[in-house]
Amino acid sequence: MATIIVGYFKRLGEDLRRDWQLYLLMLPMLLWFLLFLYKPMEGLQIAFKDFSPFRGIAGSPWVGLENFRTLLDDQIFIRAFLNTITISGLGLIFAFPVPIVLAIMFNELQSELGRRFSQTIVYLPHFISVVIVAGIVINLLSPTTGVVNLILSSLGLDRVYFLTQPEWFRTVFIGSNIWKEAGFESIVYLAAIAGISPTLYESARVDGASRWQMMWRITLPCILPTIIIMLIIRIGNLVEVGFEYIILLYQPATYRTADVVSTYVYRTGLQGTQYDLATAAGLFNAVIAFALVFAANRISRKVSTTSLW
Amino acid sequence: MRYIRDTLALLATCALLQTGSAYAEDAATKITDDPLELTIHFHFRDKYVYTEGWPVEKKAAEWTGIHVKNIASLATSNSRDAFNLLMASGNLPDIVGGDVTGGLKDDFIRYGMEGAFMPLDDLIEENAPNLKKFFDEHPIVRQAISAPDGHIYFIPYVPEGEFSRAWFIRRDWLDTLGLKVPENVDELYAVLKAFREKDPNGNGKKDEVPYFAREPIEAVRLINMWDARVSGSERYGDFMIEGGKVVHPWTTANYKTGISKVAQWFKEGLIDTEVFTRGARVREYMLGNNIGGMTHDWFASTSNYTEALKDSVPGINFAPMLPPKTVSGKRFEDSRRATVQPAGWAISYSNQHPVETIKYFDFWFSEKGRILSNWGIEGETYDMVDGKPIYKETVLHNPKPVNAQMWEIGAGVPRGYWAAYASEEQWTNKMALDGIAMYEKEPGLLQPEFTGVSMNSEERAVYDKYWPSLLTYMMEMQQTWVLGAQDVDTSWDGYVARLDQLGYAKVNEVMQAAYDRQYGKN
Repeated sequence: MATIIVGYFKRLGEDLRRDWQLYLLMLPMLLWFLLFLYKPMEGLQIAFKDFSPFRGIAGSPWVGLENFRTLLDDQIFIRAFLNTITISGLGLIFAFPVPIVLAIMFNELQSELGRRFSQTIVYLPHFISVVIVAGIVINLLSPTTGVVNLILSSLGLDRVYFLTQPEWFRTVFIGSNIWKEAGFESIVYLAAIAGISPTLYESARVDGASRWQMMWRITLPCILPTIIIMLIIRIGNLVEVGFEYIILLYQPATYRTADVVSTYVYRTGLQGTQYDLATAAGLFNAVIAFALVFAANRISRKVSTTSLW
Repeated sequence: MRYIRDTLALLATCALLQTGSAYAEDAATKITDDPLELTIHFHFRDKYVYTEGWPVEKKAAEWTGIHVKNIASLATSNSRDAFNLLMASGNLPDIVGGDVTGGLKDDFIRYGMEGAFMPLDDLIEENAPNLKKFFDEHPIVRQAISAPDGHIYFIPYVPEGEFSRAWFIRRDWLDTLGLKVPENVDELYAVLKAFREKDPNGNGKKDEVPYFAREPIEAVRLINMWDARVSGSERYGDFMIEGGKVVHPWTTANYKTGISKVAQWFKEGLIDTEVFTRGARVREYMLGNNIGGMTHDWFASTSNYTEALKDSVPGINFAPMLPPKTVSGKRFEDSRRATVQPAGWAISYSNQHPVETIKYFDFWFSEKGRILSNWGIEGETYDMVDGKPIYKETVLHNPKPVNAQMWEIGAGVPRGYWAAYASEEQWTNKMALDGIAMYEKEPGLLQPEFTGVSMNSEERAVYDKYWPSLLTYMMEMQQTWVLGAQDVDTSWDGYVARLDQLGYAKVNEVMQAAYDRQYGKN
């Protein structure tokens, strides 16, 4: 055992001496991680305390798992948790494939100008602030003046007040998110496609493969590792739904499907200044996210030999 | 020390003899002869901090000898965050204050009991004649800001005046349709129905929105017509006091009736279909497009629209009316000005000059301090006319609202001070003043106000555990009913049962205990 450790440090020392430029380049990122992601972890202990900002972390009394008990007893929290999983799960099913399809479609475009033009068009929404996106969505879906409802009523259908109907919330939320992010997310896949060796396509063409066959047999298999890595990352974020956009879109009337853990944390934790409870909810989320990533990675390594670690 | 003070008093007397009365006043307001600097953390309304350059602050420093130096950073655009960060740092300046979303009252009390702020009772008793007089004359204010341990930990911003909001209706539409101002709930129904059906704006389209609302608290205000209240205070979804008992208005039988009738009116198109998503600029939209018929909103700001829109919407007369009589035949106005604002300032435990600080706080409640904190600087923003401060014409006839002008010079900011309604009255327009007079003349319109309770730590633990989810659920059901997604009659029992499950009885019990302790059983 001791020899292994000694050997490890000996090798590390040699590596450092030899490749010090590379390690130097890595240093800022490492420091960033330590300062902003590891150091704040000491704050996690307030999940187990009756926290008062003035008393400070050390001065607040321990309460064990009391905060977690409060959370799990709270039906509104449980509902928020289930909503989070549902929204992300549906997002995974409907939104995840869209950037892949987009990337492949861009790749198949023949005209350079047309490709650049359409790429720019689909990237653009990513750079619009969520506040503005929410404003656009609210206006488009307005029951009296919204375009969607004007079309519905001119077709002789009933007007729908989308933003106050719990049944519609997920559709609106995921749909507008696809519009906003799919283009930008396709960049990763475009980069992966660009990395495919052209010789593969050339030899396929010589063998008389159609474009359709090339797509299925060459493009997709070659970007599969990228897809899987992106999928694992997505699964890790399954319990994470950004609260800004939801807060802009939801109403008490749609809490039934729209209230997620992050909005719950925002309302009770930050607006109600119950930091201990909010931290407990965040920690609870993180533990489940970790378990999900771990499981996804395991499965992926078994099935496809691609994995994060 | 004694010797120096006497000498200075003598000097002051000499100066008085030489230059007249201005110095005498200074001597009366001087707290310390050696200029004293106190540090303050004061972040308010998410975008302002206490500013040394304010003319009002300079004047106060000149008069009292105490200069207040701000340490709050303007880099934060959230007063609540700024306050919390300060508390978490543990390093408090001499004075801590501000005005944040949700209020600081609970924070002052909670952290005061934890030792962050000094109890002020004895300091006031011994050193602050103006504050003592004020609290003696306004016992309700003292009760409302008292902590569970009986102490006072902060000096609040105290508003003045009774009525805040009113019912506004397009009186010109009433004339067009040959209708009277609705006197009771049936007439109100007929009027709103006519607004909807009879095209009062005369554009040939059925685009009129009979009732619209700007804030969540106003969206269901029409439940008043069935004797139900929306809130016991100016805060949306707050408790109320009924016969000495703390009750949540959204659990009462009247609320059941009221909300089901409002849902009915909503379904008939008498209430804006987008009332929950319209946002804060709804008055501009509804009145500017000549489609809104009625609302419930602030007297002063809503009265301005008739004047502002008289060119673009000819004939508009959007004016206050008395609350129509409810189904039980009485009239009441649900909203009112808060007796105390959950804002102000406190003395932190580390302050080395508590006596001087409380005297400084006291200065703002003196005659001079009150005029300074409301009207600004004599000769610049106001003149004394017949012994009363009157805003200068240049202030009154300025494109900027008077209150915004006052904030710029440091007057009217939420320090611990007593707002003077007389100052606001001077820049309120005639329509609003007439409306307020009409409301004041009607006896018994105002409802008892719930001025909040201060909970001890056990009570707070219970409240914190259950209340956020209860409120979430109540708001959710309120909208669900109004939008017609569920029927009130069939789902009410389930609602009550669910409230109980979520801990309503427990919350109510601790609120009642805290209320009894704070306001006495009577």
